[in-house]
Formats: sequence, C-alpha cells, structure tokens
Amino acid sequence: MIDMIEKEEPIISEEEAAQYDRQIRLWGLDAQKRLRGSRVLLVGLGGLGAEVAKNLILAGVKGLTLLDHEQVTEESCRAQFLVPVTARGQNRAQASLERAQYLNPMVEVRAYPDRPEDKPDDFFLQFDAVCLTGCSRDLMVRVDQLCSQRNIKVFCGDVYGYYGYMFSDLGKEHHYVEEKPKTVKPAQGSSDGPEAKKAKIDPNETTMVKKTASFCSLKEALEVDWTSEKAKASLKRTPVDYFLLHVLLKFRTDKGRDPDPQSFAEDSQLLRQIRDDVLESLAVSGDLLSDDFVSYCFSEMSPVCAVVGGVLGQEVVKALSQRDAPHRNFFFFDGRKGNGVVDYFGPN
Amino acid sequence: MVQLVGSLRKELADSLSSCRVLVVGAGGIGCELLKNLVLTGFKNIEVIDLDTIDVSNLNRQFLFQKKHVGKSKAQVAKESALQFCPTANITAYHDSIMNPDYNVEFFRNFMLVMNALDNRAARNHVNRMCLAADIPLIESGTAGYLGQVTVIKKGLTECYECQPKPSQKTFPGCTIRNTPSEPIHCIVWAKYLFNQLFGEEDADQEVSPDTADPEAAWNPEEAAARATASEKDGDIKRVSTKEWARSTGYDSIKLFNKLFKDDIMYLLTMDKLWKKRKAPLPLDWQQLENHALFNEDSPGSGLKDQQVLGIWGYCKLFQHSVETLRSQLEQKGDGAELVWDKDDPPAMDFVTAAANLRMHIFSMNMKSRFDIKSMAGNIIPAIATTNAVIAGLIVLEGLKILSGELESCRSVSSSTANYPEVISLVTYEEPYDELEECQRSPDYFFCTVFDTFP
Repeated sequence: MIDMIEKEEPIISEEEAAQYDRQIRLWGLDAQKRLRGSRVLLVGLGGLGAEVAKNLILAGVKGLTLLDHEQVTEESCRAQFLVPVTARGQNRAQASLERAQYLNPMVEVRAYPDRPEDKPDDFFLQFDAVCLTGCSRDLMVRVDQLCSQRNIKVFCGDVYGYYGYMFSDLGKEHHYVEEKPKTVKPAQGSSDGPEAKKAKIDPNETTMVKKTASFCSLKEALEVDWTSEKAKASLKRTPVDYFLLHVLLKFRTDKGRDPDPQSFAEDSQLLRQIRDDVLESLAVSGDLLSDDFVSYCFSEMSPVCAVVGGVLGQEVVKALSQRDAPHRNFFFFDGRKGNGVVDYFGPN
Repeated sequence: MVQLVGSLRKELADSLSSCRVLVVGAGGIGCELLKNLVLTGFKNIEVIDLDTIDVSNLNRQFLFQKKHVGKSKAQVAKESALQFCPTANITAYHDSIMNPDYNVEFFRNFMLVMNALDNRAARNHVNRMCLAADIPLIESGTAGYLGQVTVIKKGLTECYECQPKPSQKTFPGCTIRNTPSEPIHCIVWAKYLFNQLFGEEDADQEVSPDTADPEAAWNPEEAAARATASEKDGDIKRVSTKEWARSTGYDSIKLFNKLFKDDIMYLLTMDKLWKKRKAPLPLDWQQLENHALFNEDSPGSGLKDQQVLGIWGYCKLFQHSVETLRSQLEQKGDGAELVWDKDDPPAMDFVTAAANLRMHIFSMNMKSRFDIKSMAGNIIPAIATTNAVIAGLIVLEGLKILSGELESCRSVSSSTANYPEVISLVTYEEPYDELEECQRSPDYFFCTVFDTFP
C-alpha cells in the first residue's frame, strides 16, 4: 500500500485543494494524496452502503466501485438517498450511480449489478480496500481471507434496526503514523545564559510517530472459544452486541434476507429461536440476550446508518491514508442507548 | 402487539409524520441532519440559513454541488432533499434566525428545534427563544474529529448559557507590539496592521512599539517617565498609522522600512526587553533587494499556498498586496474602509506577508499562506464523517423526545477521550433535584454540567 503513492505520485490540483481544503487542514496533504491514489470496492447499497459511499466519495478516493445485485424496492427509497424514487425495479447499484457521481465528479464511480458470490477472486484483488455490507457470513469470511493476505484492507458492516456494527481486518502488519505534539526540552542553566537567547520553538509544532497494528481474520474474530476459563471471565466485559451479531448473521444465512417488518410475527419468533440456538452453540448463557432486542432490529434505521457509516467511512479513510490509530477490530453501536464502543475479538 | 413502520413503532412513526420541526443551519451538520430527518419519516421540516454555498463547503455539505456555488444553502438543501423524498414538506428560509420575524410565536409552532450552527451569538439567541417558547432544543457542534450533541429543555436541563463559555483567546498588547514569541502574535499584529492601514482603526489594535511597556522599564520611575513621554513624544504615537500611510501615498517601500526597520530599531533601544530574549533583526528593503538579485528564489513544486517563500518573496508579496489594497481603497472613495476577509486574496496576501516578515525579524520560522490562513481566519477543519455521526445522534435524541422519553436524553459526545467508548453518554453529576438557578431564565430553571463547542 505504501508503494501505491510512490508509483503513481498523485498530484493534488489547485481545484482539488480548494474543494478538499477543510479536510486537508485536518489530516494533511500526504493523507489526501494517499486517498487520491486509492481504489475501493463497496458491496451493498442499502442504507449503510449509501452512507459509506457518500463518505468515501466526498473524501476524494481515486475510484469507488459499487456492487449490488438487489433491485430497488419501495423500501429502498425510504432507506437511502442515492436512489431516485422513479428507479423501482432497477438494479440498486446502477440506480445509485448518478447521484453518487454528482457528490464528487473528481472520483471515478462505477456500478455493477452482480452477486458478489459470483465474482472471481481477481475481481476483489484490484482494490486497495474492500467494504462489505449486507453480505452473508460465508462471503465475508471468504473475501476477508482472500484480500487481507494481499494487504488489501477489509471492512464489514451492517445495520439492523437500531443496532449496527463495523469490523476491520487491516492485515498482520498495518503501518500508520500518529501526529503528536513536539516535546520542548526545558532550558538549562541560568536564565541569563546564551540558551535563553535561542530561537523559540513553536509550541504548536508536531511530529509524526510511526506505529504498527496487527489484525486477525474475520473467521478468527467470529470463532472465539467461549469455553476457556479466560474467555468466560471476560464475558462480563463483553458487549452483548457481539452475540447479537451472530444471531443476525445466522438469520441472514438461513433466510437469505434480513428481518422484515412485513413478516414481523414469524421473524420475531425465528429470531428468538436462533438466539437460543446460537448462544447454546457458543456455550454461553441464554440470559446474555433477552427477548427485548427482537423488535428493535428490523429494517435499517437512517440515523443508525449515518452513525455506523460515519465511523466505518472514517476507518477506511484512516486505513488508506495510513494515519491515526485504527479501531481494532469491532465497533458496536446501540441506537437505543446511544453509545458506541470499540472492542477486540480474536486470538490473543 | 408491536406494529412496525420500517424500524419504528407505529405510534412513533405516526407522530413523526405529523409534527413540525425546525433546523437552524444548512451547513455541515444541517445537510446531514436534513437527510436523516427526511429518511426517518419526518414530514414537516423548516430549515433556515443566511449563508450561500462556497467551494470549500463541498467536501462535506453533500446536498450541494459545484454548480450551486453562490446560491442559498437553505434553498438548495431543500431542493436536493426533495429529490430523494418528494413527499416531504420542507420550507426553506434564506435568512438569519436572529431576524425579529422569528419571534416566540414562530418557535411555538415546532415540537422540536435542532441547531446546526457555527457561532455562539446565534446559539445564545436560539437558546433564549426555545426557553421562552418552552420547546425542546437539541444543540450540537463539531470540530475536526470531535462532536457533541446535547438536549436542552426548560425545567429539566441546563440551558446553553448556564455555564460561562471560554471566550476567544486574546494576547497582551505589549506581546503583540513589542515581544512576540509565537507565530500567532505576528499574525494578530498583521491583522491589526490591516485595520490600521485600510480598515476601521481601533485603539485596542495598535501596532507601533509600546513605549509604556512595563517590562521595558529598569525601575518604576522610569516606567512612569516612559508612559508620559510616549504621549508627548510626537513621532511614534501622535500621528496615527493611517494618517502616516496616507501622507506617503501608501508607498509600500516607505511603509516597509517604517514597520520592519525603523520601528524595530526603536524596539532595540528598549534594551531591557532583550536582556533575556533574542533581539529582533531589522530588515532593509534595499539590502534585501540587492541580495535577491544574486539569489533567485526557485519556485517549488506542489500547491502554491503550501509553499514557504524566501524573505524576498514576502517583501514582494507585501509590496504587491499594499498596492492592490491601496487601489481598492481609492475605488471605494473618501472615508472608505476595507473589512478583512480571509477569502479576499489581497487581504490574505497582506497578512501572510506582514506576519512572515515579522516572524523572520523575531527569529521564528516563516509559514505558508495555507497555515497562516488557518490561524488568521480561525478556520476549523471539517469532514463529512464527523458531521454524519453527530447528525445521526441528533435524530436519535429527537426520537426519544418525541416518544415522551425526555428523561432518557443525554449529552452524547463523539471523541476518543473515553476510549474504547468512542460515542459516549455524558452522565449528569447531580441528580435532577439538586440543581441551581439559571440567572438567565426569569422562571427559575435548573441546571447540570455540560460543555459544548463554540
């Protein structure tokens, strides 16, 4: 990834500098250049996908490829802001293309109507980062395995009603920099001495510190063994959202879709059943997840998509620009309580 | 039996579609907020903003495109939102919320008011209107990666003005005029200089050496003598900077030599100041010009604004900007005054040049126009994602309010201060029973602790 910027040497034009001014002032010109050289794949243009698309296009990546096999329904028009109301029946990625492109003509936006399952490995390998929303657990595990070993940054995320999560796998060795204030050495000796007459260091000057972070695979993150003594002890501090995620991913695998308000009664019952099965198979207490969550995980809630999409979008920006500490490796948001937490799941 | 409309309980969805809400501001937070409200199912939204669209807004105010630059933010935001939700009933006002037309009666029309502002004056105003109308207000702010949302409700929470807010940082006059030690001192000096020469003269914005500087006196009697002498001694104080400049016809080289040579040499005579500090080095136009002829500044590659020129480069920039500003003044006619604006190129050039020349004199590393613009223009860096998160949190608090769950509302902040919580609820320190009176509200109202962005 670091090679990318040296090979292409993307030059920021005066036009881009004017448009990106307020963000260049935050993360610097180098970070903007790296973004400018990055290509990203976004799978899924539901509520969360649209938010991530907007955030990455506005950030100024080189290219964003939209992939979604779903069709635009009445529900889609309520869920996201890129699809025109007249586009019912069209492919969701293609219907989102025009408005997505308008967000920032300087980004190359493409759209494909295929199933991600049908795409060959090569397809995924042409990107610097891959972002999967609305995908099955199996697909996410497969794509993560394929990409992260080639230093392609992998992100997953979903919103279920009031709940949402984000996962990232930035590889075994993700290098980044953090900006820290420069420490000023205290003056030595008497205050009348020559040291006092040295030029003053600007106290606002900063320095870049190089760091490395290591990430595990999605497979490892989801297959934590809760039977060990250590794991059992950590359960108290574990956000229940992690287990909720297992339940919702299983629902998606079993039903081929997410809980639907139109089938509220049956889906609620199935959710409770799956909750029982999942918690049992993970060998954790059935009390961890009460019935309460069931009626709050239907459809994609716009403000929750905005929050999760904002955090996820920023994580992609951080990873591509190799700047600032990444969240490692899950972010869970509970829209009912209003708090969001980062937590690590995987082998120690 | 629970009935859902999308993610929401039917009763909540129904109340959303019938209530009226007001969004104050259609900028970074406003665009995201309008989108969230419309998609969540709010049907009657009014949005107000006095501003027009600028190209630097486009990195985050996603309802606007390049073709909209110069147009009303509120108006374009409304049109863009209607594109993805044609059934929403949106009213846009290209106006200031402080306009007396928007009186208490106006505010009483709404079930909820949400601020998406960037300045304290407007926030104070809306705060008082919402207290007077007894309408819940959701206050918010973002800066860079940080953001915060707070609910304000009369009788339940602290109001926006309950706690004193930190005011804008100011520097002592003698630091600006005599002994700058940081770039910001030089930048403030340069902005004062602009006003003294081209704008509204302000007695608190003197740029000439301060002879009454207490630090300059060796003993108290000398301090007193200096103070009275500075009034009698005509040269420095008596003639105003503007009058002096006029008398020379705004000759840029004469101006240069007075500000960056003569005044500095005067400062050097106040030798006590330089006992423990590095003394300033006066500049001479002629010397610099001679030196420059043999050492051409090679233009750097990359963005113009991010380059740091050599000293002669800033001399030329000073000259050029003075000449441009002089003719701007002439065009405006007698008694004209210019107002400094970071987006007016010659005004920004002038401050860049003057600040850098002064920084060089006081042995500080010179800065690029880009960096100086940040400091001189008080630019707050801003990105789409922080605004998206905060706007999402605003709507979530709004839903609690409309569900009658005011007590469960919290102040929510987005930052890494409470890592691993990155979106955290600020809990109130005192229980609701033990609150203090807010002196701003005549109807006795109660407070707890919070703080928000300016």
